[in-house]
Amino acid sequence: MNGSSERRVGRFSFGFLRCSPLIISGLLSPLLCAADDTEALREQVQRLQERVEALEEETVTAERRGDLGASVSEADVTAAEETDGVHVGGAVRFNLVHRDFVQASQDKYGESGLDVFRLNVDGEVDNILVSAEYRFYSYMHTLHHGWIGYEFDDQSQVQFGIHRVPFGLLPYPAHNAWFGVPYYVGLGDDYDMGLKYERTDGAWNTQLAFYKNEELNDATDPERYSFDLIRGGDQQNEEVNQLNARVAYTFGLGTNCETEVGASAQAGEVYNTTTGRRGDHSAGAAHLDSRCGRWNLQLKGASYEYDPANPQGVDPRTVQVGAFAGTYDIAGEADILVANLAYNLPSPWESVDSITCYNDYSRLYKADRALDSRINTLGCAIGSGPLFTYVDYIMANNMPYFGSGSLAGGGEDEWHSRLNINIGFYW
Amino acid sequence: MVLALACVGAQADDRELTVVSWDGAYVKSQILGFIRPYENKTGVRVNVLQYSGGIDEIRRQVRAWNVHWDLVDLELFDAIRACEEGLLVRLNHDSLPAAPDGTPASEDFINSSLMPCGVGNVVGSTVISYSQARWEKEKPDRLEDFFDLQQFPGPRGLRRTPQGNLEWALIADGVAPEKVYEVLSTEAGLDRAFEVLNRIKPHIVWWRTGEEAIRLLETDRVAMSSVYSGRVDDAVERGEPLEIIWDHQIWFYDVWGIPKHGRNVELAKDFLRFATSTESLAAQAKYIPYGPVRQSSMALLEPERRQRMPTSEAHLKTAVELNAAWWSENLDRIAPRFERWVDRPVMVPKTLPR
Repeated sequence: MNGSSERRVGRFSFGFLRCSPLIISGLLSPLLCAADDTEALREQVQRLQERVEALEEETVTAERRGDLGASVSEADVTAAEETDGVHVGGAVRFNLVHRDFVQASQDKYGESGLDVFRLNVDGEVDNILVSAEYRFYSYMHTLHHGWIGYEFDDQSQVQFGIHRVPFGLLPYPAHNAWFGVPYYVGLGDDYDMGLKYERTDGAWNTQLAFYKNEELNDATDPERYSFDLIRGGDQQNEEVNQLNARVAYTFGLGTNCETEVGASAQAGEVYNTTTGRRGDHSAGAAHLDSRCGRWNLQLKGASYEYDPANPQGVDPRTVQVGAFAGTYDIAGEADILVANLAYNLPSPWESVDSITCYNDYSRLYKADRALDSRINTLGCAIGSGPLFTYVDYIMANNMPYFGSGSLAGGGEDEWHSRLNINIGFYW
Repeated sequence: MVLALACVGAQADDRELTVVSWDGAYVKSQILGFIRPYENKTGVRVNVLQYSGGIDEIRRQVRAWNVHWDLVDLELFDAIRACEEGLLVRLNHDSLPAAPDGTPASEDFINSSLMPCGVGNVVGSTVISYSQARWEKEKPDRLEDFFDLQQFPGPRGLRRTPQGNLEWALIADGVAPEKVYEVLSTEAGLDRAFEVLNRIKPHIVWWRTGEEAIRLLETDRVAMSSVYSGRVDDAVERGEPLEIIWDHQIWFYDVWGIPKHGRNVELAKDFLRFATSTESLAAQAKYIPYGPVRQSSMALLEPERRQRMPTSEAHLKTAVELNAAWWSENLDRIAPRFERWVDRPVMVPKTLPR
């Protein structure tokens, strides 16, 4: 599963036409040739000359105020900073996979296929922002995110629509392409429908959000990018009326060793369509994200709890979540640990722009003493022009998509591996 | 008959010249210093276009014989490169006006400001600047402070070119200014310079035009920035509390060059003679504190004005001259590496493509 690059800007631009100061061209010649009387011609020339001088005097006055007005033309060769414009971008990515827990994958020495084709629109016009991404997978297509926003003079921002929930490590709680436990329980790179306000004051970053419901406003549909409660069978719960707050402080801001520490809180209601009652859910997290030189250490501890208003007979210890056209159960109450370490290597090759290697570890501690779920990914992300490749070796124990692993009770205490090479072209 | 004469006269007044220069306070000083006076004197309309350096566009125009730029204000190393490539008209310096006291132009212009394809106009300078409001107690005052993120945290503005940046990196790392180009001529020296720049790379905001650099400072987007010294003066006059660190300022010549195959070569030469006269250069220096390249022009300036220029004795103490000859030979080798380096992150990126 792959996250998004919400702010990625493509190279194809439908930038809005901007008015540039035009070169002041000659004013006199056509009128001169039209005159047929010498005296009248002289008077006309005199009047025009006076007018030109008056205009030039006005221009000089303007220049002394620091405004060169129309005298200077902005040539195309000028590298002026673009602020306004809407940009279209996208990516196409493919996977090469080997799974040791699938006999066919072993027998065939691996598999390959389309991961995703996506289109992005990002832009800003007069401080009004837009960002959207649509994704096509071989088995579904969905809006990844889509919001409009406004940037205030103090650079704070409000977003309305389907956007990333501000919780824990941002933008992603992992370096690798497959992500870790937070993503698979809906507490990492999660997108919902609502309103978000974000502001930065020096080292402080604050985000407040309210989400009316999950991103599709259809909790029966698992054809979505991020994991939410999904209705199905006797599990008839959906997320509504959720509040989020995230505060972070960066120590050493502007130095070679910046360390962000932060806390997040999430609380919302869980509407059960069978009983017509509202239960609730809550989550909290503390995180550290330290970038020192070429190293990056990420730590996160989180805890969540669902208290759904289920009808009698429905197991309250699990809830059902879904995404990518499928569903599974997760523990209704659990703690999460994330420990990621990454190093950015200097590339010795001209054609390779970046090499970031990492080891991402995460674990789900379930409240009912069920078997924990663990995942560890060792890998490198390699950038080369428009190509970006993840080479991930994923080891998972009791995780969905790996044998009979489960994020709820049961499952299996077996380690499975997946070698995942994700090759993408971005524009 | 009268109508015909009137039309001829009108054509004479319609003569136009396209002059390509830089932006902001610098081009303003040229417009007020000698472009408007030239228009008033001759009736020639001077259209001023803005660019941000380089010779690619000149090469395109000249090779196609489709030349729209009549006169270009070039950095000296670009002028040398363009001249060697045969893109510029060779100039006869004897036709330049003498100083008011009769001193020939060839003796009045300071060293190196006259070259086969160019005529110098000012001595400019790249310095480090910061907003006084940014630092309450200890303020930066040395080049080394620019590279010291611990003592003076915050983003840094730098021009997106290797020239000047590599020199500063080596000097901040302890290389004697007079040895800088010797060290830079070796791969190890080049590696060393990039390694020093790596210290601040995650916090560099790149600019391409002088106005962008000033805006970075005015809007507090950066804690310090390299900037053309003359632009700071203009910003201060507007009320911006900017301060200059003159330590290891890098000074350079700007020169006028005339692209070959243009339609207005003779008119461009006429403008060039006017623009580089003693009076014109002195007039320009009244609007921007850059040193005029004619000694006779300098003599016309008030002492107080001269003290604010990069060429003043106080500001020259640790100054470094940008070695234009060295850069003209090495830019094509170093620029691609520099661009690759700019695009490569040092820190683990916050966001990898997903």
